Amino acid sequence: MRLAADTGGTFTDLVVETGEEVRLYKASTTPHEPADGILDAIALAAADAGREPADFLGSVELFIHGTTRAINAILTETTARTALLCTRGHPDMLLLREGGRTEPFNWSYGYPDPYIPRALTYEIAERVGSQGEVVQGLDEQAAVRTISRLAEDAVESVAVCLLWSIANPVHELRLGELLEQHLPGVPYTLSHALNPTLREYRRASSAAIDASLKPLMTKYLDSLEGRLRSEGFAGRLLMVTSSGGVVDAADMAAAPIHSINSGPAMAPIAGRHYAALDGLSESAVVADTGGTSYDVTLVRRGRIPVTRETWLGLEYEGHITGFPAVDVRSVGAGGGSIAWIDAGGLLHVGPQSAGADPGPVCYRRGGTQPTVTDACVTLGYIDPEYFLGGTMELDAAGALRAIEEQVATPLGLDPPEAAAAIMAVATERMVQAIEEITVNQGVDPRSAVLVGGGGAAGLNAVAIARRLGSRRVVIPQAGAVLSARGALMSDLSSEYAAAFFTGSDEFDHAGVQQALDGLRARCEQFAERNGMAHEATIEFVAEARYRHQVWQLDVRLRDGRLATAEDLALLVEDFHAIHDEVYAVRDERAVIEVVNLRARVNCPLRGGAGDTVALEQGHSSSGMRSVYFSGIGAVNAAILRLEAMAPGAQFAGPAIVESSFTTIVLNPGASAERTASGSLAVVPGALDTASAQQRSERAASR
Amino acid sequence: MTANGQDAGNGARDAGMTGGAARDVVTLAVMTNRMEGVVRKMTNTLFRTARSTVLNTARDFSCCIVTANHEMLVMAESLPIHVISGPDTISRWLREFHPAPRRGEAFIHNSPYHGNSHAGDHCIVVPVIDDEGRQRATAVVKAHMADIGNSEPTTLMATARDVYEEGALIFPCVKIQEDYRDVEDVVRMCMSRIRVPEDWYGDYIGMIGAARVGERELLKVGEEVGWDVFDRYVADWLDYSEERMRATIRGLPAGTRTGYDIHDAVPLRGVENGVPLKVTVSVDPQAAEIEIDLRENPDCLPCGLNLTESTAVTSSLIGVFNSIEDRVPRNTGSGRAVKVLVRENCCVGIPVHPASCSMATSGIAERLAGIVQRVLAEFKDGLGMAATGPECPPAVAGLSGRDPRHGDAPFVDMMILGNSGGAGHPHGDGWMTNGETSDGGSMMRDSTEVLELLRPIRVWTDRIVPDTEGAGRFRGAPSLYIEYGPVGTELEVLYAADGTVNPALGVRGGQSGALCRPALRRADGSVQELDAWARVVLQPGESVISISSGGGGYGPPYEREVERVLHDVRDGWVTRERAFEVYGVAIGEDGELDERATAARRAELASGAAESPAAGTEAATAASAVHGSERDPVLRLTEPGARLWPGADPAA
Repeated sequence: MRLAADTGGTFTDLVVETGEEVRLYKASTTPHEPADGILDAIALAAADAGREPADFLGSVELFIHGTTRAINAILTETTARTALLCTRGHPDMLLLREGGRTEPFNWSYGYPDPYIPRALTYEIAERVGSQGEVVQGLDEQAAVRTISRLAEDAVESVAVCLLWSIANPVHELRLGELLEQHLPGVPYTLSHALNPTLREYRRASSAAIDASLKPLMTKYLDSLEGRLRSEGFAGRLLMVTSSGGVVDAADMAAAPIHSINSGPAMAPIAGRHYAALDGLSESAVVADTGGTSYDVTLVRRGRIPVTRETWLGLEYEGHITGFPAVDVRSVGAGGGSIAWIDAGGLLHVGPQSAGADPGPVCYRRGGTQPTVTDACVTLGYIDPEYFLGGTMELDAAGALRAIEEQVATPLGLDPPEAAAAIMAVATERMVQAIEEITVNQGVDPRSAVLVGGGGAAGLNAVAIARRLGSRRVVIPQAGAVLSARGALMSDLSSEYAAAFFTGSDEFDHAGVQQALDGLRARCEQFAERNGMAHEATIEFVAEARYRHQVWQLDVRLRDGRLATAEDLALLVEDFHAIHDEVYAVRDERAVIEVVNLRARVNCPLRGGAGDTVALEQGHSSSGMRSVYFSGIGAVNAAILRLEAMAPGAQFAGPAIVESSFTTIVLNPGASAERTASGSLAVVPGALDTASAQQRSERAASR
Repeated sequence: MTANGQDAGNGARDAGMTGGAARDVVTLAVMTNRMEGVVRKMTNTLFRTARSTVLNTARDFSCCIVTANHEMLVMAESLPIHVISGPDTISRWLREFHPAPRRGEAFIHNSPYHGNSHAGDHCIVVPVIDDEGRQRATAVVKAHMADIGNSEPTTLMATARDVYEEGALIFPCVKIQEDYRDVEDVVRMCMSRIRVPEDWYGDYIGMIGAARVGERELLKVGEEVGWDVFDRYVADWLDYSEERMRATIRGLPAGTRTGYDIHDAVPLRGVENGVPLKVTVSVDPQAAEIEIDLRENPDCLPCGLNLTESTAVTSSLIGVFNSIEDRVPRNTGSGRAVKVLVRENCCVGIPVHPASCSMATSGIAERLAGIVQRVLAEFKDGLGMAATGPECPPAVAGLSGRDPRHGDAPFVDMMILGNSGGAGHPHGDGWMTNGETSDGGSMMRDSTEVLELLRPIRVWTDRIVPDTEGAGRFRGAPSLYIEYGPVGTELEVLYAADGTVNPALGVRGGQSGALCRPALRRADGSVQELDAWARVVLQPGESVISISSGGGGYGPPYEREVERVLHDVRDGWVTRERAFEVYGVAIGEDGELDERATAARRAELASGAAESPAAGTEAATAASAVHGSERDPVLRLTEPGARLWPGADPAA
């Protein structure tokens, strides 16, 4: 038996996989002692299986955990007091970043602070040059004096980032030794060891973030493992990474930066699985709708996309992680997004969110501003008495009142039209997020299947698909716990990088091949260490670009070789093809430069990846309800129960499909079928182009 | 602030219900998101495919949509100086020169006398034609080219006496694509004249791609929502934008104020004494209008510093938009409430052929925006902004030489490292990497490692300089100290700095930022000052020191929150001495606040009894401490150092 537990801001999701069968559980997250929430969910699962929790846990071989612990510590500024040791003359790497700004006229705030304050930044007398030559030797006496200052300044962790440590790490390594000797017990991160990438800001930022997380993540993982063991767990504990893989808990403690974006990294893996399972399309847009944000990923030909441009906070202004992560585009539009009207009378939805606390007005937790969820209640999409399977009763009257007062009256609309307008704006923002990741990658969104995950995905998945022109929407039964489900499908993996710069006009075959061989050796060590030398697969990627471009594209090396002219010719050919695919342009005359090399080792853990769903007994239909659709008005819609629907069952909108975890709205004109894997496959029907026209005419005639 | 989404007030009700036919509020909200998406897609296409550094690093390009009636509709996050005004005029000239455009056509345009910013910006203009053959909108992509075929290898040719000496190919709306295929004649002209033809063509392809993305997306809008709905949206959106602007102006005090500044003297005919600038701003809250008068300024200059009509108007509007809340959309609608008065044959007005406008997006344009935002600040606390630090110090420079690591291969390149200079504003401190006002800080900066990898140079120092900020309630960004030189070879450095004489001015009691200080360190360690405009050939062992201008401060320094001053001292932005003298915050050697001494000093400063020492010209402070002969092995950031130029009087 294998478990995956995903600790989110509000809920802890648990997925239990026993052979071919998968079951889902949700418990409230317990922020002060997250292990409690996990054990609560396990208790639910044990009870469901009719077993004692200790006995149940004892039979778990693999426990995969995803947590927002690290990212939360960063957001709440509760990470360790961390110092930065840098090359003399360059103390402001973290302050100056790489320049850039996204909103030229938004002067509502000042310049953002560096990740490590200047007061905790210490310059080290040394210098290495771009060829790895030592320009100025390390002044060890001075370095030791600096380290003694760190102790006086009560530093809890240390990041070391020296210029050109990627070309010659001798000074960083020596500083590591000196830290061990003179500051024993204080964790540290060496930039070249953690993330050997070109561009000092990125490496410094990686090292700073990583070092700042070490004390707390070590403590968290020790305590979690201790609790699980004492409750009977005897299997292997794995942690989810930002790049969509899993690693042993001890590896995560050694480089905790890999956990910071692990939350959204798993949904695309599950989404890919469900899109493939039903034999759908070569591209899938996997969307995860949360309370605050809408996260989308484009999975093309089964590949999970990665990006190096991952920022904590705003692009350019926050802090770059410097690591590849699953490429997830996020917009501030979710169930908790607030609808508001600006001073000029324009309706906006988000990016402000009521979150889980106070939450939407209808949660009765003190929220006063209308949200997307309130709009759904007002439109009749969500049954106030059957929210989360009836575990929480919603205040429909409060939702209606908030929308009427704060949106409908100011805009001169009826409350249902106002609620529909809120949905239309939220839908458009989500559509824009999808178009950005598809159109910008040269993919026509109409050719992609839309996979909806997250508890609120089904509320406007049909509307989004219609606006995009998608032919197919899939809502997996495990959609509401997509991240935890994805964790059970991921591989044990690790990624290594080597900075190497050369151009196709005077290609350094020997140098590149040596770097690739080094990466291969590290991958093989990882596989061997995990006893999976035979099953492991290694993928090599060259980050390449046309000369004079600054943005690289990832090119997979067909068999990890660049030793010969033929190997290079293949790389060049592949680069042109990818550039053409992504940007619709190829330049056969240009020199191609390789900037970085990466290797990723995957050790498959997959057991039975089946999705046999236990059918519930009882009626699949539970009557009718009045539901409001824009351009049509109130109609009677059938209310259906997802878990009780037999595979192959077909039906047409208007209808509302409910389950314990989610609600799916089928607009009039849409139709759906339950697939063998338990997913709901929806044909959205055409976009109602008349409605905008009618609305415009109605407004004009008023 | 609207972070909690509660700025819906009575204004909303009024706005929604006034102005004749009721507005289609739902379409307005949905389409606004969609149209911004169209421009974002155009922008991203060009950003990721561009070949030249000016586009892919400096992001010196913009995308926008203009309506069929020549109104600027949406520009998203484009480069301000390119688009606020200009593409609308270009659209008019396109109609004049090509009254019946057809689908598949594209035009290249760069004429400074026909609405463009300066000849160095090439525009690709694509009319969006519906299925009936009617023009519905125009997609415009504008980008600063690495070369345009000038008589010298630069697009910013300050020394040009006129457009002939400038020498660029000038394209007033010239057809470059037909049926979606290049007009090879025009492409061939460019390829024969422009110095880096492959790079130019690479950038051109990217621009065409971006404009075509805009065209395709707009055609989809027409197909899906109908052109009538689109047209109605356009009218509603521009009206909404106008109302937002007018509502903002109604909240301002009435009055007429005049502001001045001087662009530094430069060694060119006609500008040996600098360029004095004068701007009069009238605010009429009753009519809900702002009028900006640029007419009392010098005639066109016999050099490349003249602005174009587009950049004169745009710089004024940048000053306005920097001064008010960010939520007012920037388009022809909001522009209706701001009148900019210009005259013919004026260096900040309408240039008359053959005046050269080669530098029309920087230099004087920067100073002009600064005056407008400073003047607006004087109308009311909470409004406006100080001046940003003048550009470009010697770490924003053209580099050339030969690379001994690659068989002495020659190179010519642009280095973008030394920008800082953000101005203090009512809500926060100046932006550290602001660079130019005209790009709103969107420019990226180079990485030391990338620079050292690509060129035979070493960047010895890259750090901020304490006590160089324009002090204020919110301070300007301090200067950046960059020191770099060649490794094993000679290096030619070409730069042209404004701000070595006239600093970035503060407002409402805020102080000026430090002056820009270019210097040269010889191999023997001696340091000598360099001219503001120079072409320097460095020998191995020598280095250039580039200290950028600091930004101006907003509001009196003694009103700065004590907590912020403590933070500045702790983190080495400001010394303890300056904290006391200028900010009136007394901090002991132990770093503890002395509340009594602080209250006393602040009272003294507020009453005018004590003079707050002139700000800023301490740019040299950290220099020799960092890189001098007496190197402290472990330099804490807060340590003060000796002056770079002993004997120089900072107040002089």
